[in-house]
Amino acid sequence: MIAFYRRFEAVLVGTASLIAIAVAWQLAVDNGFIDPFFISTPLAVAREAMTQAADGTLFVNISATLHAFSLALALAAAVGIGLGVLAGWFRDVEAALDPFIWFKYSAPTIAFYPIFIAYLGYGLPTVVTVGFLFALTPIYANTLAGIRNVDRDLARTARAFGARPLDVFVRVALPGSVPLLVAGFRLGVGRALTGVVVAELFGSTAGLGYSITQHAQLMQTAPMMVSIVAIVLIGVALTQALGFVERKTDAWRVDAE
Amino acid sequence: MSHIQFRDLSVSYRRPKSDERFLAIDRISLDIERGSFVAVVGSSGCGKSTLLLAAAGLVSLASGRVVIDAAPVTGPGGHAAMVFQDASLLPWRSVLGNVRFGLEMRRWKRDDLTERALRHIRMVGLGDFADYHPHQLSGGMRQRVNIARALAVDPEVLLMDEPFGALDAQTREVMGNELLRIWERDRKTALFVTHDIEEAVFLADKVVVMGRDPGRIKDVVQVDLPRPRSPDMLDSETFVTIRRRLRESLAEDMASLRLVTEGV
Repeated sequence: MIAFYRRFEAVLVGTASLIAIAVAWQLAVDNGFIDPFFISTPLAVAREAMTQAADGTLFVNISATLHAFSLALALAAAVGIGLGVLAGWFRDVEAALDPFIWFKYSAPTIAFYPIFIAYLGYGLPTVVTVGFLFALTPIYANTLAGIRNVDRDLARTARAFGARPLDVFVRVALPGSVPLLVAGFRLGVGRALTGVVVAELFGSTAGLGYSITQHAQLMQTAPMMVSIVAIVLIGVALTQALGFVERKTDAWRVDAE
Repeated sequence: MSHIQFRDLSVSYRRPKSDERFLAIDRISLDIERGSFVAVVGSSGCGKSTLLLAAAGLVSLASGRVVIDAAPVTGPGGHAAMVFQDASLLPWRSVLGNVRFGLEMRRWKRDDLTERALRHIRMVGLGDFADYHPHQLSGGMRQRVNIARALAVDPEVLLMDEPFGALDAQTREVMGNELLRIWERDRKTALFVTHDIEEAVFLADKVVVMGRDPGRIKDVVQVDLPRPRSPDMLDSETFVTIRRRLRESLAEDMASLRLVTEGV
């Protein structure tokens, strides 16, 4: 029992603190401290979630968001890793891409949403584009760093054994960049989800983000909260899953001297 | 003809953040006989590692040449294998994978890579650790893998740059004995850089003393101790005499170094 507690201590305590918040929320509304009109109650949200699950609305919204999210992330990973590898290996590619990266870092992408809507219309293309742009930078920057920081001693040793530049790239630089690449991908996951939901808020006609806007405008707090909670749960699940993958891939780096 | 010939060899490096160059080694000539074990000692900055890199074909030469087996060295190739002080193992590969790595880079075609790698892993005493990853090994074990990787490619010449420099004194002694045991089997021509005088005398047939500013050879001492070497030779008269001579030779360099430091 104690061993079980030790093993899952973080999860158990975390869950307990979430439940405590939910109970406090419910009590605060029940005792009149907060107006449920603005924030609903945990019980009302749970009831609404059941209804939406029963009539399928919840899953339609979730699958629309996840669909856009996967497309955005897949695109960002393909482009970000591809360009990151090239820029990490060829300095001229990095120099050529640098202005765009600085631009991406300093300008809030979402400010350009009217342009996306004008060209791509309300719906999936706009949502995917914004999600893609959100996720691109961290994936690109981490991949670049991973390739660039190839261990010099390892590269030198490989060359001493007669490795050609392509060998050093494929056998030393690429595998050596995996931990940073995975870290970049994890950041990209969070950013892609944020981008997709933000774009859905005002650039779409489907998905959890759209559902939030729609219900918020109609002052339907409980259905709105269901979508918000769904987004939070998806985000937590994705980050946790990736954290797990990440720990697997960089075990050798963690306990290396 | 000697197995390795250094002829009027100079190597210069660029100073960081400037176009100015300085001589790391200045017109060095040295002959190394086939099957001999030669140690190079000297204070830091005397160019002893550069000498090794030149033999490996890993630096460009300012003048002179290195000839191994009557062929001038023009770049890293099949003639020599290098053991650096840093074990330089790929952290994502097992011991077996790391020893295979050298063979793969050499595009070894002669026999089964895995079998050959395992044979050399057993030779350095790591037979039970072939599936371990570098982070699970001690410093001494990693350096054994490093040596196995170099020997597996069956090099003409074995170049070792302070391979035991990062190990503690006891491990260092064990590794020295092990290295000799392995080396005695096929007596590959070996060039061994160290800053440890005792280690040099214990291992080598010939000890080369290098001085600095610019890097040059100050003394070459023949070690007339019988092989196989054993730890009790450390107290023999021959050993003590050679050690004293080397120490005096190196002390001059240290003295000039001290003056430089005090001048600052």
